Amino acid sequence: MITTDRWTGLFFILFSLYVCFESSRLGVGTFFRPAAGFFPFYSSLLLGLLSLILGFLAFRGKVERAESWTDVGNTVTVSLALLGFALLLTWLGFAITTFLFILFLLRAVERRAWLLSASAALFISAAFYVVFGLWLKAQLPAGILGR
Amino acid sequence: MAALDGIIQGFAVVLTIKGLAFCFVGVLLGTLVGVLPGIGPAAAISLLLPTTFRTDPASSMIMLAGLYYGVMYGGSTTSILVNIPGEAASVVTCFDGYQMARQGRAGPALGIAALGSFFAGTVGVVGLMFLAPLLASFALLFGAPEYFSLMVMSMTLVTYLSRGSQLKALMMAALGLILGSIGLDAVTAKPRFTYDILVLRDGIGIVPVVMGLFGISEILQNVGATMDREILKSKITHLLPTRKDWQDSAMPIARGSLLGFFLGVLPGLGPVIATFLSYGMEKRLSKHPEKFGTGAIEGVAGPEACNNAVASGNFVPMLSLGIPANAVMAMLLGALAIYGIQPGPLLIKEHPQVFWGLIASMYVGNVMLLILNLPLIPLWVQVLKIPYGILYPVILLFCLIGSYSLNNNIGDVIIMWFFGVFGFLMKKFQFEPAPLVLALVLGPMLEDNLRQSLIISQGNFSIFINRPLSVAFLVVSLSALLFPLLKLRPRLRETTE
Repeated sequence: MITTDRWTGLFFILFSLYVCFESSRLGVGTFFRPAAGFFPFYSSLLLGLLSLILGFLAFRGKVERAESWTDVGNTVTVSLALLGFALLLTWLGFAITTFLFILFLLRAVERRAWLLSASAALFISAAFYVVFGLWLKAQLPAGILGR
Repeated sequence: MAALDGIIQGFAVVLTIKGLAFCFVGVLLGTLVGVLPGIGPAAAISLLLPTTFRTDPASSMIMLAGLYYGVMYGGSTTSILVNIPGEAASVVTCFDGYQMARQGRAGPALGIAALGSFFAGTVGVVGLMFLAPLLASFALLFGAPEYFSLMVMSMTLVTYLSRGSQLKALMMAALGLILGSIGLDAVTAKPRFTYDILVLRDGIGIVPVVMGLFGISEILQNVGATMDREILKSKITHLLPTRKDWQDSAMPIARGSLLGFFLGVLPGLGPVIATFLSYGMEKRLSKHPEKFGTGAIEGVAGPEACNNAVASGNFVPMLSLGIPANAVMAMLLGALAIYGIQPGPLLIKEHPQVFWGLIASMYVGNVMLLILNLPLIPLWVQVLKIPYGILYPVILLFCLIGSYSLNNNIGDVIIMWFFGVFGFLMKKFQFEPAPLVLALVLGPMLEDNLRQSLIISQGNFSIFINRPLSVAFLVVSLSALLFPLLKLRPRLRETTE
């Protein structure tokens, strides 16, 4: 058990309550005639029960300190860059989004020099475009370049 | 004799230019993935999957399977040379492999790892060839209650054998079941938890989930950490082990192969636990247990053979019962479903070219790996010199393109991103992803069989205990749940101490 188990336990209890509620709106049915909400309802009930045990043990039992949350700056930046890629891909198109994505990671996260970051980003995005777009014929969005 | 006819048919599939090419690409990429830290077989298979949609299922499966057992070969290289396991199944190889390398014996360590893997891989394939059809014909006797109980057993065994807290593993399995129910209900066609989001109507795809949980989350964790890699600078010579090395390694390889295969057949066991058990067993059987951890070749030979045998053994329940033993097999099961093939007892009858082609390809793949692996070691050492800061953006890009290409839909990319962040948080809070993935795959099948059983029995749960096979599976499940309470759960760390 670690200290954060108290809060993850609580989170999953709330989550399971929500799923129980949503499942009952779908209709749980009976054991003889299970309806659409039957399986998620009982699965979330199980999750809720297990989370309750976790939370209880974490509050009552001996707990160890959880891992520290320092050094997560890069993790947050990279995950935001990934989300940015997903949101911009259709609009900007594959080539530009890939270039910006690699440039951002190399420059902002890895702190490489501008010239190196830009040339590596150009090379990687061109190589991916040739392999996936031209050779494997993956339907990559052209975005603003295709208009 | 049926097995012999089958394997001849399989060789006819694989010994063509196309079959050989797919097998080669699979094992080569597998070795590369094994060498590269930060990307495991499950994520790699999910990356490669979209590129296989335009080819036939047999060739695709040959390539994806080659990738899995290729990883087992490649993983040992980094463990021995850099003391960083390329993937989790090679953690144990670090203990003695790296020590051997430091003593100037990297060559024999790499050599025995490759030769032991080859032997074990071959033993595993022979076992798979005979056991899978046998189990499949037995499984034809299963009805819905038996399947339900078998799946419950698989999931409880996964949680029982998980490395962390079993309670948390069970929570993840329950969460996986809930996530598996997203999409249209199979009976009533009612949308469940879709919130008018189109990408959720067909359910959450296994591929973006695996890419997120095993690929993205690994990178998110590594970008925050500094990775020191001290690559061996001395030249690697004398790859062939000496006569004494052979004498010391022969029995560990044989034992590792058998142990690995049989543990691989059990649902819930991946190669990681098996290699720890093999290492523990060799240490206990050795006349010089004190040498373990200081460069004992037995400590490399046994676990390396074991992880390859597990890889073959894992295919038995997946191909014959349609039950995946771990996340990688769940991924392959998902791949078969995408190709329109239902794994399970009828697979051998209905798609013999897939089943026997796959088995024959494993023989061929193991030979290819043996020939490939030793001469390519200098190349893998060069690959290891690529800085992680350059490598991970490229891996991320592969994941992004892979998830997008599934359905040319940005929704899959967002799902992958979500599970990447979720997987990172799971690691921080010490939850394991494997039970979630397994439950996500098994969930819809489990629900179908549960509902069918209840309809047959008119809502009476005794149907699960009135049938002998079903009750046997449930007893095993119950034991897996009760053993930890009685403190009978094996502790992996103790095995290696």
